[in-house]
Amino acid sequence: MKRIGVFVCHCGTNIASKVDVRSLVESARELQDVAYAADYQFMCSEPGQKLLVNSIREHDLNRVVIASCTPRLHEETFRKAVKAAGLNPYLLEIANIREQCAWVHDDREEATRKASELVSMAVAKARNSSALDSTRIPITKSLLVIGAGIAGIQTALDVADNGYDVMLLDREPTIGGNMVKLDKTFPTLDCSA
Amino acid sequence: MVAAAQHPNITIASYAEVERVEGFIGNFKVIIRKKARSVDENKCTGCGICWEACPSRNITSEFDEGMGKRKAIYLPFKQAVPAVPVIDREHCRYFQSGKCGICRKKCPSGAIDFKQEDEIIEKEFGAIVIATGYELFDWASVYGEYGYGQIPDVITSMQFERMNNASGPTEGEILRPSDGKRPRNIAIITCVGSRDDAKGRSYCSRVCCMYTAKHAHQILEKIPDAQVFVFYMDIRAPGKNYEEFYRRSVEEGAVYIRGRVSRIYRRGELMVVKGEDTLLGRQVEVEADLVILATAIVPSTGFQKISELTGITADKDGFFQEAHPKLRPVETNTAGVFLAGACQGPKDIPDTVAQAGSAAAKVTALFSKGEIETDPMIAEVNKANCSGCGLCLQVCPYDAITLKATKERVAGVERERNVAEVNAGLCRGCGACTTACPSGTINLKGFTNEQILSEVDAGCLGN
Amino acid sequence: MPGELNAAEKWEPKIIAFCCNWCAYAGADLAGLNRKKYPANLLVVRVPCSGRVNPQFVLRAFQKGADAVLVAG
Repeated sequence: MKRIGVFVCHCGTNIASKVDVRSLVESARELQDVAYAADYQFMCSEPGQKLLVNSIREHDLNRVVIASCTPRLHEETFRKAVKAAGLNPYLLEIANIREQCAWVHDDREEATRKASELVSMAVAKARNSSALDSTRIPITKSLLVIGAGIAGIQTALDVADNGYDVMLLDREPTIGGNMVKLDKTFPTLDCSA
Repeated sequence: MVAAAQHPNITIASYAEVERVEGFIGNFKVIIRKKARSVDENKCTGCGICWEACPSRNITSEFDEGMGKRKAIYLPFKQAVPAVPVIDREHCRYFQSGKCGICRKKCPSGAIDFKQEDEIIEKEFGAIVIATGYELFDWASVYGEYGYGQIPDVITSMQFERMNNASGPTEGEILRPSDGKRPRNIAIITCVGSRDDAKGRSYCSRVCCMYTAKHAHQILEKIPDAQVFVFYMDIRAPGKNYEEFYRRSVEEGAVYIRGRVSRIYRRGELMVVKGEDTLLGRQVEVEADLVILATAIVPSTGFQKISELTGITADKDGFFQEAHPKLRPVETNTAGVFLAGACQGPKDIPDTVAQAGSAAAKVTALFSKGEIETDPMIAEVNKANCSGCGLCLQVCPYDAITLKATKERVAGVERERNVAEVNAGLCRGCGACTTACPSGTINLKGFTNEQILSEVDAGCLGN
Repeated sequence: MPGELNAAEKWEPKIIAFCCNWCAYAGADLAGLNRKKYPANLLVVRVPCSGRVNPQFVLRAFQKGADAVLVAG
């Protein structure tokens, strides 16, 4: 059985001043499979995440929708919190009601209506989401540096000092790049070779 | 340089170019062409007998920016790493006429190998750092007002660097290229090609103000009775101790004139530098016996090839694009490929070293994990439904899909057929394959057809 | 009649926009960041690439009552 939790973030007044957060929570409760809905001042804050984790456990939620800022900002943050609550992090959907709603619409009524549409879209998507697992791929621990001027040499030395193999490649017959052509370098006038 | 050469973990592949890059983060396969030096690196001791003996002299030295000469078998400069010479086959008498071979006769270790061919090596790497640096703007082809490079005593700042360098063609003496005389009146022009939308590039090259201050200081140090005139647009010295450094060269006597130079022409042995002093609002004319042009920094030739090989993008000027200008300055949009130095944009040595360290930290962090976790939001094939038509292969921008033979039992008979298979390391989750798939057999995890359709439905229902 | 006219004047199209996460979606975020205003009758569906937009999605939007569809990437 799907049990979706919807969490609406006020983002201080960023969202709350343009979106009627309470009525958004009310409308979210009406959506199919939504088992719980709540709002909080700052979902991304420590107490906000705690609320999320506790609610998932308390209400036995298995899908989460967070209505907040753009997923490009805090998707990772919330995925970690969802994971901490024992859920697969990919069972999270975010409704972008800040950048793409509260910040771009002046009319409170319209913004609230749009926010509820965005939440219902996110809930619909969450209803169809499934747990995803990443695969692990072993890596070759050696580095290719293309270009052996000061940038390439410095990178090669730093990585090599950490114990990894480096191939330092240059198309010229010698390494050194432009830097070795220089006489002294500003502002200290020390030598460049 | 020597530190890199002697480091047990660093292998130097000089005179080599990258031919092909395959694979993905953590698992790149790179094909490298080691160009034929005509000298066996393992046998050569760098003793120098060969280039001493070489009769083909008077070849313009690339390293000395055309200010010096070299032989056909040569080391670019004395402290070159590796200290193994290379034969310039275009100028070598043996390669051109089949006669000569003096270097081979003289070489005490038998290292000269005229038959050496380019060597193709294939190696696996977990990450790639691109540090292809910069070149200088080809001013001579566009700046007619500065003489199109036809006036010998109009040189670039890099040529001045070579001349001023103790190991350079004049052993550090500042001399006019035309007659070898010591110049007394020297004009330096900044922003040649930089901040010039009409003839050059729109950007500021960032280092010219500072090295020009350095050059002014060095000239005044070496030629105490010299006069140095610096024509500038603005002085940009935004670094630690930079402003102080610039002030010092002014206090030492460099004359800074704010304005562009409109023309340089010869008057006898001298050159007339005509320009404007915009602070005083009048024309200026300076008689100079040496003119130094601070030319713009441009990306190294071949940046397009690097961009094609690794899938990273270059901006309008050819500098490689970082993943985010503030937050991910050394990463690129190709996972596992990082940037360091001026190939990303003009920068000075402190910034280059800092960026190189940052790239190294990113690489080290990747390597220390030992494995990578792939993004699970990638394409997935329902093998039972896949007809093996291969349309997905054609649209995949990352070559992440292959057709793989699979066995199945149909009506009790075992048979083999091809089905699409997604490489989790290569797939970037764009979903182009899902749109191409005629049977809807490929789906994108995290953005499935069902998920997007349900979202569309929910959005429309609120109508 | 005046009522109908009023309804026509008030009518606002419903627009479904498929936006690529890496460009157009980021652009929509940027519009928010700069507090640029636009009408509230546009709903963004985030996709990982405009290449992900199956023509079927567009048809479905029209079928379910969308008046316009924007694919941006």
